[in-house]
Amino acid sequence: MIINIRQCAKDLKYKNPDLITRPIGRNLFAKVLEKLAIIGLHEIVIIDFEGIKVIDSSFIDEFLVRLILLSRDEKKPFYVKLRNISESAEINIDLVFKSYSHYNNKKIVVISDELRHNNSYFIGPLTGAEKQIIDFLKINKSARVSEIADILSLPEEETMEIMEQLFETRVIRKDTQAIFSVV
Amino acid sequence: MIIDDKCKDQFNFEDIIGSVESVGAEQDIDLSRLTFIEPYSMLSLLLLGRNHLRNTGEKHRLVNIPLSIHQYLTRMDFFHTGVFETDRPLDEKFLLKRSAFSKRVIEVTEIPNKERESVKVIGGVIEKFRKRAGFILKNWISETITDLFVTVISELCQNIFEHSLDSGYLSMQTYTAGKENIVRLVISDSGIGIRGSFDQKKEVIYDSPANLIEKAFTTPISSKREFGYGLCEVNAIVEMLKGSIFIRSANASVTALYNKKNKGQPLMFLKNDLKNFRGTQISISLSY
Repeated sequence: MIINIRQCAKDLKYKNPDLITRPIGRNLFAKVLEKLAIIGLHEIVIIDFEGIKVIDSSFIDEFLVRLILLSRDEKKPFYVKLRNISESAEINIDLVFKSYSHYNNKKIVVISDELRHNNSYFIGPLTGAEKQIIDFLKINKSARVSEIADILSLPEEETMEIMEQLFETRVIRKDTQAIFSVV
Repeated sequence: MIIDDKCKDQFNFEDIIGSVESVGAEQDIDLSRLTFIEPYSMLSLLLLGRNHLRNTGEKHRLVNIPLSIHQYLTRMDFFHTGVFETDRPLDEKFLLKRSAFSKRVIEVTEIPNKERESVKVIGGVIEKFRKRAGFILKNWISETITDLFVTVISELCQNIFEHSLDSGYLSMQTYTAGKENIVRLVISDSGIGIRGSFDQKKEVIYDSPANLIEKAFTTPISSKREFGYGLCEVNAIVEMLKGSIFIRSANASVTALYNKKNKGQPLMFLKNDLKNFRGTQISISLSY
């Protein structure tokens, strides 16, 4: 599913190119929640920010953080992927995600359609090994743990742990054959 | 009471805080010595006047205002707030024109303390800022810097209705001091202050009021929810832009000079035991 945030904002009568403040974040979240009612299990939901210049940390906290936490819901998990994120929005998302992860001891990261400033396809705090996995899957689309372990020069067991964590964070996918793929 | 010429920056203005508060209800405030007034001093003077008006029901009268100061304060809509009276209005022929040149400012704007109204006003301020960003940020122009300032304005204004329990004011201006071009954004209120806001949050431990201010803008603590990223994000943006930030709340202040940062830690100054000044006053500057 692709959700055009500018359109959602217009539906709520927000005409500005900036999505700022908690109340607007809360209203957008409620609007997007309505759309998510029809998604399937493990579906990729693309949040398209085309036409949006700024999203501030209050909006990010009320909208994006909640959406990502919701995507981890065991009853109906899905994946979130961002598209058309502006430079300042990327800076703000990265700051909020890093703070959240650091102080909450729960990693929060999101996959992006475009290459970001970290020279990869995610925003948020990932380790060097985790970044390598995202990059590898982006190029190769899917892989088994053994292949990733080879690339990382790590034991398979340790690699599997990292992969499972990334899967729980909803930044990589896993099928029933334990093949991992990019979101 | 005659005000000394100490409205050129936030540090000088400290001397004025106590003296204005001690002015009697009937006394006039004489501005004849002022040669310059920048946005932080202007908004602080406004808050001092508003506090007085609320406490006594009486307005202070500003007298002997030098022409250039009178022109500036009028241009900035300072008198539209209705906080002060003057000995004489500015003659129309001296009014500053609202030309492109004078678009290097955001006039004094009241930020309400109610969520719905405030969100509307913040949207209006951002719209005005975007239209004038080319003039205000003339020396720093880049789309990303404009966008980052949008975040800063939004976050600081939200703190007013989220935490201060009072309304506040915003103002912004680019001006020249000596050889420096300065852009200054000021957002101030006379609410319960940072310490008052954290009164019920016993798990937040601090060793002095200034230390609490420092924590509020270097870690994502919040008085209302699990985390609050606003001040923390503002601080990170100011650091990214190599600017400076001054936060004063009640009787303490923190100054972070990222423009003077060498290798390692930024220059950060914590001050306690200042004269009590209700609320939180924040000044952010970039200089070039």
